Amino acid sequence: MSLFEDLKLNVEQGKKEAVLALVAQALDQGHSAQQILQQGLIAAMDIVGAKMEQEEMFIPEVLRAAKTMEAGLEILKPLLGVGDMQVSGKVVMGTVKGDLHDIGKNLVAMLLSSAGFEVIDLGINVAPAVFAQKAEETGADFLGMSALLTTTMPMMAATIEELEKAGLRGRVRVLIGGAPVTQAYADQIGADGYASDAGAAIKVAKELGALVA
Amino acid sequence: MSDVAPFTPAVRLSHLGDDVKTRIFEAALRVLADVGASVQHDEAVRLLQKAGCSLDSDGLVRVPRPAVERALSSAPNAFTLYDRDGAAAMELGGHNVYFGTGSDLMWQYDPHTGEHRPSRLDDIARVARVCEALPNMDFVMSGAYPTELDPRGVYAVTFLTMMRNCTKPLVIVAESEIDLGVIIDVAADVRGGRDQLRERPYFLAYVEPVSPLSHPAESVAKLLLCADAGVPVAYVPAPLLGATSPVSSAGHVVQGMAECLLGLVLHQHRAPGAPFMFGVNQGTLDMVSGQPSYAAVEGFMNYLTVVEMAKWLGLPNWGISGCTDSQAIDAQLGLEVGELTLLSMLLGSNLNHDVGFMGFGLTGALEEIVITDEFVSMNKKLLSGIPVQDEDLAVNVIAEVGPKGHYLRHPHTRRYLRKGPGQWRPRLLNRDNRDRWVECGGLDLREKARRKVQAILESEGPPTLDPVLLALAEERVAALKASPKVGSPS
Repeated sequence: MSLFEDLKLNVEQGKKEAVLALVAQALDQGHSAQQILQQGLIAAMDIVGAKMEQEEMFIPEVLRAAKTMEAGLEILKPLLGVGDMQVSGKVVMGTVKGDLHDIGKNLVAMLLSSAGFEVIDLGINVAPAVFAQKAEETGADFLGMSALLTTTMPMMAATIEELEKAGLRGRVRVLIGGAPVTQAYADQIGADGYASDAGAAIKVAKELGALVA
Repeated sequence: MSDVAPFTPAVRLSHLGDDVKTRIFEAALRVLADVGASVQHDEAVRLLQKAGCSLDSDGLVRVPRPAVERALSSAPNAFTLYDRDGAAAMELGGHNVYFGTGSDLMWQYDPHTGEHRPSRLDDIARVARVCEALPNMDFVMSGAYPTELDPRGVYAVTFLTMMRNCTKPLVIVAESEIDLGVIIDVAADVRGGRDQLRERPYFLAYVEPVSPLSHPAESVAKLLLCADAGVPVAYVPAPLLGATSPVSSAGHVVQGMAECLLGLVLHQHRAPGAPFMFGVNQGTLDMVSGQPSYAAVEGFMNYLTVVEMAKWLGLPNWGISGCTDSQAIDAQLGLEVGELTLLSMLLGSNLNHDVGFMGFGLTGALEEIVITDEFVSMNKKLLSGIPVQDEDLAVNVIAEVGPKGHYLRHPHTRRYLRKGPGQWRPRLLNRDNRDRWVECGGLDLREKARRKVQAILESEGPPTLDPVLLALAEERVAALKASPKVGSPS
């Protein structure tokens, strides 16, 4: 097995020690950081993404592969030039005010992160003003909101209003989700994207990302 | 009026030995005492401290064994829910089994057009009407969330709608202690006072902590209010297998029990002997697609264990039935509704909600309630056990008929059918031969259920509520909606 094949397999299987050793070995052999990133780490995550789509991997395995890929990337970061690392977009996200449910939001955050987005997770019970402030501070491309309770859904509309007040609405794309949330609700409150589950959230973010890029 | 004779299965399912149940309980005690929990309500933390729990430097509350044991010994083994008129309707405890709907579905299959559309307030009225008419639906939970309404005070409006459209006991949800307080006030008006409501509770409140091990201020405040008012409460976490609980069945139950029992300790310290219902909801995350499921077989495994643990602890239990992951009223719905409902009956699970749920608790169909009612009816017969008196063994009858005879003319046969256990006959399920079935329109179960729903909705509804009480209730709800305290969760 070639070095890169070996590297990809170990990323896919989430073997961090092996990946760190293989990245170091590849550098020793004279491969560029850019080449290792593209042909090793990112290529591995492409395989993982495809396998996930085909329902061949469990979510915890995907998350572990992503974490392993990030560990490999840490070694390469100091060696990569500006522009070598393409980030799909920066996402500020959280569960809306009054709502303490976060498993759906966490799942979306982890999957977005493994799909190359930079995720700033504000946690649960996030007030509209806090969403807006963090979106501004971080220069976020996306703002993601989650709600499980029907009674907290209106906080999504309140947050969009807050973004408008802060003059951020033009720059920040708003994505919403959660069990009671619907496309109709997204349309009603003027959100840019709605996803019915975590997998769809990644697709919607990528599509909207491509639109802004 | 409600049927007061409880159904208790003679045929029962039990699969855990005492040693296994002890191991599970001891593990839950270790989680309570060693891991602790986050309780986001200052007064509740102080109460728990008085009950012997510690608030540690990490901000978590730890619950020692004696506090749990004390709560278990003061909590009642059973309690009764009463209907709108004040008649005893559900004796919750032992192996008594009751069925009813679930709450807050966002979508409905419209019973008239078949269209899949957002839920409305009139769906809640229809759910209540249908349950009122079905002999095997014992209580009503809203079944729908009124998406067209302003969310302010929406659960009080929901309560009022259920109360107007049926006389059976209710299971309610509330946003906070504020709207719950109004719902309790309205129920007290119906009963003629707070003490009368305490004596004859009209509803059970459903309250959830958040898994893992987190007890939000609103949940805890509702739990305490129920304790104070003597309103029965189910404090039921909904850990999602593999996501907000361990992926192992036993781990799921252990964590869920620890969450529920913390509520019990708090509740019983506040009001020893107040009615409390034990339960752990059985959600499973599909570990490949990320979709939560109501009908995953792993969830059923957890459910079997949770109900057995409730019996072992001597607490009335919160159960589930009549629901499916299917998006259509189809064979999958039949299989999943059937399996879960039969399990609940075999287990002697007490209060089984979620009848009429489809697509992981997002869509409701009245047809599903009607189908479940028929299924429950059939299985009440199945699980009633066979009598074996001389009359039943029928040796004399066999002798009298003898070889080559027949039983159709024998008095024993007539007597058994008319005055004895009789024979269960379907109202919806088909037993027609091909010709007769075709002659009657060749209807499938879904269509028959739909027609039964129509017939119920066209029939006369339950007796109307006293107009004075209704006006008072509407006034209270209007005041709630106008209150600055609602609609702004803090």
